[in-house]
Amino acid sequence: MDALIHIEHIMKIYNPGENEVRALDDVSLDIYAGEFVAIIGQSGSGKSTLMNLLGCLDIPTSGTYILSGQDVSSLSDNALSEIRNQQIGFIFQGFNLISNLTAIENVALPLIYRGLPAGERLKYATEALRMVGLENRMKHKPAEMSGGQQQRVAIARAIAARPPVILADEPTGNLDSTSTKEIMNILHELHDTGRTVILITHDDQIAANAKRVVRIMDGKVESDITREN
Amino acid sequence: MSQLLEYIKMAFFNILSNKIRSLLTMLGIIIGISSVILIMSLGNGAKNMITGQLDSIGTGQVAIMSMEDPITQEDLEYLKEEMEEVDAYLFAFGFEGTISTPKGDFTGNAYGCQTDTYLFEQYAVLTQGRYFNEDEYNDAKMVCYLSESDAIRLFGNTDVIGMPVDIMVDGRTLTYTIIGLTAYPENTSMITYSSENDPIFLNLPLTSLEAALGFDADLFYSQQGNVLLNENANAKEACDKIINILEARHDCQGENKFIIQSFSDVMSTISTVINVITLFISLVAAISLLVGGVGVMNIMLVSVTERTREIGIRKSLGAKTGSILLQFLSESAIITMLGGILGIVFGFLGAMVISWLIGALAPEYAFTPSISIGAVLLATLFSSVVGIFFGIYPARKAAKLSPIEALRRM
Repeated sequence: MDALIHIEHIMKIYNPGENEVRALDDVSLDIYAGEFVAIIGQSGSGKSTLMNLLGCLDIPTSGTYILSGQDVSSLSDNALSEIRNQQIGFIFQGFNLISNLTAIENVALPLIYRGLPAGERLKYATEALRMVGLENRMKHKPAEMSGGQQQRVAIARAIAARPPVILADEPTGNLDSTSTKEIMNILHELHDTGRTVILITHDDQIAANAKRVVRIMDGKVESDITREN
Repeated sequence: MSQLLEYIKMAFFNILSNKIRSLLTMLGIIIGISSVILIMSLGNGAKNMITGQLDSIGTGQVAIMSMEDPITQEDLEYLKEEMEEVDAYLFAFGFEGTISTPKGDFTGNAYGCQTDTYLFEQYAVLTQGRYFNEDEYNDAKMVCYLSESDAIRLFGNTDVIGMPVDIMVDGRTLTYTIIGLTAYPENTSMITYSSENDPIFLNLPLTSLEAALGFDADLFYSQQGNVLLNENANAKEACDKIINILEARHDCQGENKFIIQSFSDVMSTISTVINVITLFISLVAAISLLVGGVGVMNIMLVSVTERTREIGIRKSLGAKTGSILLQFLSESAIITMLGGILGIVFGFLGAMVISWLIGALAPEYAFTPSISIGAVLLATLFSSVVGIFFGIYPARKAAKLSPIEALRRM
């Protein structure tokens, strides 16, 4: 089976020249559809860079990245935007909701950029909000919701367009333990329904939720352990 | 571009969720457009009033000038007979003289003219009596008509029909009988009352002067003659015809000796002058539009900085460079267009208020402001163009943000 995500000898170098920083140094990784992978690393380890590359927010200095069979390692900004829209659902640490839009409007946002008509946008967004248990909060603005609820809205936004990959960057970093549990449960549910979930964290406990843990250190993959059940 | 509507919706939403700021951003545009519209509608209104009044006194008047080959009364008479477009001609001589009445001595003017000369003063109306007729003209009768205000100066009242009036011209005293009084209707902006120092005009048959003073008007010639065209005549064609006839009579075809100035030429000159003045002031006002545009750019730049994170979020969710560009461009275009529409409304309301004030304070100058639909469309279009032009820089700045950078910014 072909990997959903296939990265090979990826380098990401900032400030090429004398003071160059090798944020990623020859990283190769395969992630298959339906996996729940945690990428763990301390700050400065290069995990954020990896997450930016995996999320098609950036392109590598060298190396190959094949996502769903398509080489995305040297696409233009606009092409990357389209890939992000089609393939990736982002969940950020700071929720990153747009504050003057309601929950449902936030969730529908990626669907606008996909070019769906209003009716379908509403349908998909409602469905996604229902999945995260926020069908009663659709008209609320982010400021009127708790952190956990906001993150659930963000998850709904990530899944509304039904991308194959869910990329969660420290999704529980700003949350209390109760909300953390809630969010992790939802991520598990998403995984159980067949989605590929990539969780980026610095926290071993959070990483322990995933079956496979990839540890990044100094821009290299230090370990890649899949837990046996 | 099917998504354009979405961006416009987003833009509207953003404008509405920052009402006060949007309004302040629009202010420059509102002031700019409203002053342009104000000036244009006042200018238009004033032009309509002036040309309207000139129209009622002067339509159809054509002045024929010739420096080298003077025009005779016969020429004009011939034109009147030959051309159905020509209603009347004016070939008048005024002789200065002194009029003595019990009220004193006045400077007068024995104005020898034709029976239909009064047609040239279309604004004047006969208030008493009548003008002299063809028979009186042909018989060189000593009759005259004058304006009511002159009658009051001479006799202290207007009960003067049938009264004799003496005018001393060239050492001879000529006695005319007053048969008519004329007046201008009130509330016209034309000068209607003669002042103390103006000569008093006695309008009388030219033939009577010929007889009394012993000269032949046919031998007189003038460098200018006036004819009055029929209301329905085509001024351009008629003028060409006049030149042809005169050139044929004077045997000087194609020598361009005769110059014709019709009243419509004068009116178009006046219109042009008013248009140029209006345009000039409008341009000055339009400078404020420029300032307004810079204001819009300024606020949009602030807005881009403020919303960097939002831009990052949108980009991470799949917004392309063009989507962000369009979103911000539509925002600035809509802001300025709304500003433009408000400016049009305020400008026209301002013009109405000003013209109402003029009407209340100086009724003779009252006019209705008017604005063409073209000017309104132009103003709207122009304000949108200002918005788009000044929106490009901030929108590009927003669109080119890297999503990673934008998301990192708090």
